[in-house]
Amino acid sequence: MSHLFEHKGADGRGYSQPEPVAPVDNLQIPSTLVRSSPPRWPRLSEPEMVRHYTWLSTRNFGIDTGFYPLGSCTMKHNPRVNEVIAQLPGIADIHPLQPEHQIQGTLAIFHEMQDMLGICAGMDAVTLQPVAGAQGEFTAIRCIQEYFRSRGELGRTKVIVPDSAHGTNPASAAMAGFEIIEIPSQEDGRIDLDALRAVVGDDTAAMMITNPSTLGVFEPEIAQAAEIVHDAGGQMYYDGANFNAILGRTSPGLMGFDAVHYNLHKTFSQPHGGGGPGSGPIGVKSHLAQFLPGPVVKRRPILTGDQLTSANQEWWYHWHQPANSIGKVQQWHGNSGAVIRCWAYYRRYGRSLKTMSEHAVLNANYLRHRIIMEAEKAGVRHLFADGAPVDVVKHEFTISMAPMKEECGIGAMDIAKGLLDKGYMAPTVYFPLIVPECMMVEPTETESKETLDKFAKKFVEVLQEDPDVLHNAPITTNVRRVDEVYAARNLTLSYPFDE
Amino acid sequence: MVDQLPNLGREKEMLDAMGMSSIDDLFADIPEAVRMTEELPLPPPQSEEEIIADARRLLGANVALGDRVNFLGAGLNRNYVPASVFQLVTRGEFLTSYTPYQPEVSQGMLQAMWEFQTLISELVGLEVANLSVYDGSTAAAEALTCSVRVHNRKAEQKDTVYVSELVPPSRRSVIYNYTQGGGIEVKTLRHNPDGTLDLDSLAQAAGSCGVYVEQPNPLGILDGGLTRVKEIIGQNTAFIVGVAPVSLGIIEAPGNYGADIVIGEGQALGSPITYGGPLYGIFACTKAYLRQMPGRIVGRSIDVDGKEAFCLTLSTREQHIRRHRATSNICTNETLIALMGAMHMSLLGPEGLAKLAQRNMAACQLAKQKLSEISTIAVPHQSNSHFNEFVVELPGPASECIAYLDTQGLIGGFDLSTWYPERANWLLVSFSDQTKATEIELLAAHLAVWSASLMQGVSA
Repeated sequence: MSHLFEHKGADGRGYSQPEPVAPVDNLQIPSTLVRSSPPRWPRLSEPEMVRHYTWLSTRNFGIDTGFYPLGSCTMKHNPRVNEVIAQLPGIADIHPLQPEHQIQGTLAIFHEMQDMLGICAGMDAVTLQPVAGAQGEFTAIRCIQEYFRSRGELGRTKVIVPDSAHGTNPASAAMAGFEIIEIPSQEDGRIDLDALRAVVGDDTAAMMITNPSTLGVFEPEIAQAAEIVHDAGGQMYYDGANFNAILGRTSPGLMGFDAVHYNLHKTFSQPHGGGGPGSGPIGVKSHLAQFLPGPVVKRRPILTGDQLTSANQEWWYHWHQPANSIGKVQQWHGNSGAVIRCWAYYRRYGRSLKTMSEHAVLNANYLRHRIIMEAEKAGVRHLFADGAPVDVVKHEFTISMAPMKEECGIGAMDIAKGLLDKGYMAPTVYFPLIVPECMMVEPTETESKETLDKFAKKFVEVLQEDPDVLHNAPITTNVRRVDEVYAARNLTLSYPFDE
Repeated sequence: MVDQLPNLGREKEMLDAMGMSSIDDLFADIPEAVRMTEELPLPPPQSEEEIIADARRLLGANVALGDRVNFLGAGLNRNYVPASVFQLVTRGEFLTSYTPYQPEVSQGMLQAMWEFQTLISELVGLEVANLSVYDGSTAAAEALTCSVRVHNRKAEQKDTVYVSELVPPSRRSVIYNYTQGGGIEVKTLRHNPDGTLDLDSLAQAAGSCGVYVEQPNPLGILDGGLTRVKEIIGQNTAFIVGVAPVSLGIIEAPGNYGADIVIGEGQALGSPITYGGPLYGIFACTKAYLRQMPGRIVGRSIDVDGKEAFCLTLSTREQHIRRHRATSNICTNETLIALMGAMHMSLLGPEGLAKLAQRNMAACQLAKQKLSEISTIAVPHQSNSHFNEFVVELPGPASECIAYLDTQGLIGGFDLSTWYPERANWLLVSFSDQTKATEIELLAAHLAVWSASLMQGVSA
């Protein structure tokens, strides 16, 4: 174990800087504002700093390290050219307050992304401003809120979410001031239309739902659900976390949704960087477009006098403020660097985005099938149950380890830790909450058949392990099972200098 | 032809194994009524070579700040970021990892973020920091809602917070969107004509849930009066300070003059401006606010062998557990950009940070001196001290001055009438560690020429 704060060096000469442009002995700092003591930061030379962070990186698992079947997170390969493009000065070194004629290239790319996202989701208008999926949800719900206010429908104070929803859905709607109505799913995880009918009314603002559901199953009655909500005067909101399953096969627009958020870091491969950055654009139908956060990019034919650049082949690009915009959810124009990476990713597929989704679904179904086959062969099929008993899943599937827990006390978390010992990232565990001892597996389209075959074998090997081994797993990792209760009871949230 | 798909051409083999005959079988569960029947109306796939060529053509059309002499900042700052930061942050183990839900295989990022929390705590002088929120604007908004959660029960002015009138409309709009749902009223704190906070009228904020001010403020002013804010507003009102983190190399940590929550735009430490995103928001507070804090926090723990280990902690505040009662909806944050910040900070060390702050401030002070020597323009807050930026009052509209400077190859600054419509002639000029003395001379010369020509025009 090596700590950053143990690097104490003699002084600040580890990293030299040019001298200031003027003498610093008479800097006008108000006397009350002179720093009384410096931060207790470490002192590292570049060799030490590079080694420290390289060492840390070796203690971290990424997609580049191995298979990362983390359900609901769409951990697909991140093409490296996207990183090269995002470091070009034309994006890394531009400022959001530069005038339009200096940033035609960025605006052209933004316009292309707005168009593409609108087409894929069947939406009429798109903003790229929200910087994460959760912020996209919040933004769309705010647009819906202002839509109802503009119509004088002030009594629409409730948002309906299924009990299988991502936690961000109720959290985002609550932040906007809505009351949350949670409705139970059916046994097989699908929407319960009767439960929905029972709660909609003239106080319904919206229903938030993802399709395919968090069980990885397509909701066949989604159009009926949309009709029920619309008949009550409410709006339909699509959580785009699972969008990777359906591109080019269906769209939220076709299903009857009014608003949608995209997780660019899932569907379009912005690397997730250990927890962010993400990007969460939203798309809306025309009746909500005037409320979008502004500005959004529009284009017009080139006019005489435009200062044309290599980005202006046919069009001039400009910012446009929607008429009744909710304003800003991020101070600038969102996570532009992420948008550029996702543009580069989209360009690899173009109209073949459908093939991308088909392979995501092919891989998920194939892996599910392989795991079941291997388990049957090994005589351990009875140890887990389907999260949803369906013929086909979409981009991910869930299994319940409840039978195994019942039989030998081994639950989803133990299996997860056993998989770490096999060199894999574990699937998502204990979500969705409606499946007991849930494991949620999402292989993505960028895994080979061999990887899936091997994972299925290894997964079944884990099921056959001695329970004691699994209770003790992992043993091959940098640290063994971490005591999360200890962390919460003995809060040490920074380096204890005085210890 | 697309790439990136290892199983292209092997579909039949995989479908056969499942007893299916076509890809369509996999989508049979989508009802016909909602199926997309037409091909997506998009262009054909491109190869990597074609994509990068297009990217170079399009992004090459932009004017990069580095192509020009640049004085545009307005809260974002073009400091030099050491090459090692970019080299290390693209290591795939960091770059391509998700949120560290499995701590046993995520110790690297967890430890790096725990170290980041420590670096920020030390920088701002508070006990606790989270591992980033989206940016400075959402950090301000989250701090205000946090202050209401903590203080509302005992507050005399329930559901009420106060925000400096100088906070730009773009940041204020984010604050509005985050606070309106909770029925929080955002009232305004006045500033004196010299740009400092009006401490006489601050007393009205006592008994509210929180007060938000910035140091330096949006006009670049370092306001010594802020050290008296906490005594005026009292223990039951959160004192929230938005900082420019580099300034804290030489400027007092707000935690040492009574701040309860310190937030800020972290970008200047570790990250390029990148058209305003991704950035990272700093969020730090005293222990009294910890349980109501938004965002993820890493704690130190032990593994079953008693060995030091790190994991996410206090997650019962968060949406995946608390759902609609969560302290915030945030989950994905800006970890990788915060990691860049941590790398930059660890390379600087305390002396390096102080020097970086001095370089920023020296450039600003030199420019203020040079520009105040020009008789046809004014520096309205000249007697104050400034960090990174200050206001120049012109004899004509700032927008026209910026257009003129553009023709001379300068990105001249920011037209403050965008933020404060009554200030048509105010230009906000910004300086960083990258500003050269010759560039300041150039700005002074061009401002003198432009303003003189304007004055001549007026007198004629």
